[in-house]
Amino acid sequence: MNPAGSLYGRLLAWLTLPLLTLGALLLLQAWLEARATADRAYDRLLDAATLAIAEQVQWQDERLWLDLPPAALEMLAGDAQERVFYSLVDQQGRHITGNARLPAHPGENASSGDTLLYRDIEWRGMALRQGIRRTRLEDWRSGERFEVRVAHTREGRNALRLELLRSNLAGILAMGALAVATLLLAVRAALKPLTRLRHAIRARDPRTLTSLDLDLPRELAELREALNELLARMRRVRANQERFIGDASHQLRTPLAGISARAELALRRQEPEEWRAALETVHSTSERTARLAMQLLSLTRLDNPEYRPELHPLDLNHCVRQAVRDHWVACHQASIDLGADCLAAPLRVAASEWQLQEALANLIDNSRRYGARRITLGVLSAPPRLFVEDDGPGIPAERRLLVLRPFHRGRDDGEGSGLGLAIVDGIARNHGARLSLGESGSGHGLRVELRFPEALT
Amino acid sequence: MKPPLARLALLGALCLLPTLACAEQLLRLPADTDAGAARPLVIHAALDLPQARPLLEAFHRRHPGIDLTYRNLTTLELHERFLAHPDEVDVLISSAMPWQFALANEGHARPLDSPRLEAWPAWARWRDELVAFTFEPIVMVIHRELAAIAKPPRNHAELLALLNTHRQALAGRVASYDPVRSGAGYAYAMEESRLSPRYWDLVAALGGVEAELVETTGAMLDGLKEGRFLIGYNLLGSYAAPIVAAAPDLEMIIPDDYALVSQRLAFVPRRAPNPEDAGLFMDFLISMEGQRTLAEETSLGAIHPALTGPGTATELRERLGDALRPPGLGPSLLAGLDRLKRQALLARWQREFRRSLADAERDALD
Repeated sequence: MNPAGSLYGRLLAWLTLPLLTLGALLLLQAWLEARATADRAYDRLLDAATLAIAEQVQWQDERLWLDLPPAALEMLAGDAQERVFYSLVDQQGRHITGNARLPAHPGENASSGDTLLYRDIEWRGMALRQGIRRTRLEDWRSGERFEVRVAHTREGRNALRLELLRSNLAGILAMGALAVATLLLAVRAALKPLTRLRHAIRARDPRTLTSLDLDLPRELAELREALNELLARMRRVRANQERFIGDASHQLRTPLAGISARAELALRRQEPEEWRAALETVHSTSERTARLAMQLLSLTRLDNPEYRPELHPLDLNHCVRQAVRDHWVACHQASIDLGADCLAAPLRVAASEWQLQEALANLIDNSRRYGARRITLGVLSAPPRLFVEDDGPGIPAERRLLVLRPFHRGRDDGEGSGLGLAIVDGIARNHGARLSLGESGSGHGLRVELRFPEALT
Repeated sequence: MKPPLARLALLGALCLLPTLACAEQLLRLPADTDAGAARPLVIHAALDLPQARPLLEAFHRRHPGIDLTYRNLTTLELHERFLAHPDEVDVLISSAMPWQFALANEGHARPLDSPRLEAWPAWARWRDELVAFTFEPIVMVIHRELAAIAKPPRNHAELLALLNTHRQALAGRVASYDPVRSGAGYAYAMEESRLSPRYWDLVAALGGVEAELVETTGAMLDGLKEGRFLIGYNLLGSYAAPIVAAAPDLEMIIPDDYALVSQRLAFVPRRAPNPEDAGLFMDFLISMEGQRTLAEETSLGAIHPALTGPGTATELRERLGDALRPPGLGPSLLAGLDRLKRQALLARWQREFRRSLADAERDALD
């Protein structure tokens, strides 16, 4: 398990790390403490042994004299049967007696009384603890200074240190185990609401979009709210979709019902002229229905949030000229004046050519349906804009937003599908452009403008 | 410390001590050629051959592949030779306990790795390096003629009383170790002075009867056999026992108030050339088999707690109880080697020894 990939692992890692560091520090401290305690305990033996020896030092025959007390050596040996070394040194540093010439200690004398010094030494390959007592004779004939040096091996100290460490270690380990257990439980408990949330989401019927009602801690409540907002949006989207489907089926049913009725009527007649007239009507209605179906298709495609058209640099002037070329014949036959108002310099934007053509076709078609006699297509720069202007009836300002919704028509004359502007709006959104409806410059009529975010250089 | 002449005399005396087997100082038990490549093992000891031979032969029977060289030396020779060549010997055995202890204390001994050591009495081993494997009480030997003068003493108190009451009759007829010239004598003096302050009265009493001060157990035994001495004080029991057994005039007495015990200490030097076979030998010394050989075929005294009967420490303890005072393997042995301590003790000893003499002179002057 990659710890970074799981909240549990992450929490555990970040909580365990300081715990381990703390544990290591405690161990180190226990080790040093055990060593110091063992040394303190055993240094008392050095202290007592040097004192026992020093008390037996006398001034005899004009020199230092020692009647070595065997008990002092036994004291140093202890239970661990340490190796024992001692030596008596006079104030000139001369070895008076002893079983080893132990080294001197560099330490300073105490300000008063006996000087006691301890240290670890390495002597002839043995690790020893040395104790030194510097004192003077308490004799009325001589106050000669002298030094008693003793040393013993470290077995007893090491054993005591290990024992102390072991008891400390048991405590530290128990504490560590407790901490780890608590940690595991705490992390588990803290992450429990998350599991509840997951179960609640998993247990839901995939078709329900009602908001989650679950008692959660603050951090997760925020997540729940975000989730509920998403669900609300999805509810709205679904409502829209349902209305769209209802509208679409309604729209398709009406012409199909018309075709069916007209065909039925014609079938009762015997005259071929009647049949012909009926067939023409059926033809035109079915053409319209096919167009409607196509428009519905492109609208669904444009509305699909997954759909990302490929945008290429495109000269808007070229686009306008192309649209005029495509529609000029049809408009000319209907005696409509179709014109273009292009810029001298090319104006490039990132766009999908077929979509822009579709948008312009829809707008031209729209204007024609609503009875415009003159339609002008044009391009403006800074910011780059594409506009279609007509001299038709226009749309009152209060209805300009409504007409962008599918199946909403300016008039109920049964001609248009009510999808044209919705499609244009979808195309504008795909280009990141803004669609705006306004009055044309002549005072009446509609001006539709597509404002692109920026021009390409 | 000592003039060379005195040392030579001491060496000579120590060499004479094993009158029992001074003829041969070296014993070789060659390896059985069938048992593969010979494994040499060199043992240096202060232990006479008649005592050592049964032990060595028993060991060799068990391990015939070992090419064993045994060299009997005096304690002094042994010590000095080891210090000069610490890598020539595999096992070092000596009755000079302080010296053996000092060597081990300085790290000359190798720790033994024998499961038998766990069962060995704690008072007879030190740090698993040094092992005591014999139990030799220090005894008094008396000549039957003493019965004409007084009842034979059973302990130190009776000896003191006897010496004080029959000073004239016993003059010159008591022998003991000279602590100045004999290492063993010094060691006993040191032990006894620690055990009881009345020891000094005993020394004074010995001085009062003008006791002969000799250097070896052998010299005392010779004098006793010849009838020159009536009382020998502080003889090594293991040497006295076979002589006394052979001489109907002599009687050996282990004092029942306190009895010193001497022990042979053995260790394997750190730089031993054949430490594994040396370990085998050490293991044999403390094994049931080795200890039984000690009890039955020598007078050295076996320590093994499972062994009972004649020649064992168990039997001596049953008979004498707390009176037995083995010196204890510990650093207090080192005190005996302290130069100033030795000077102080010997000075005191000589002073006490001459005390009654000085008293007599003062009385004469008065």
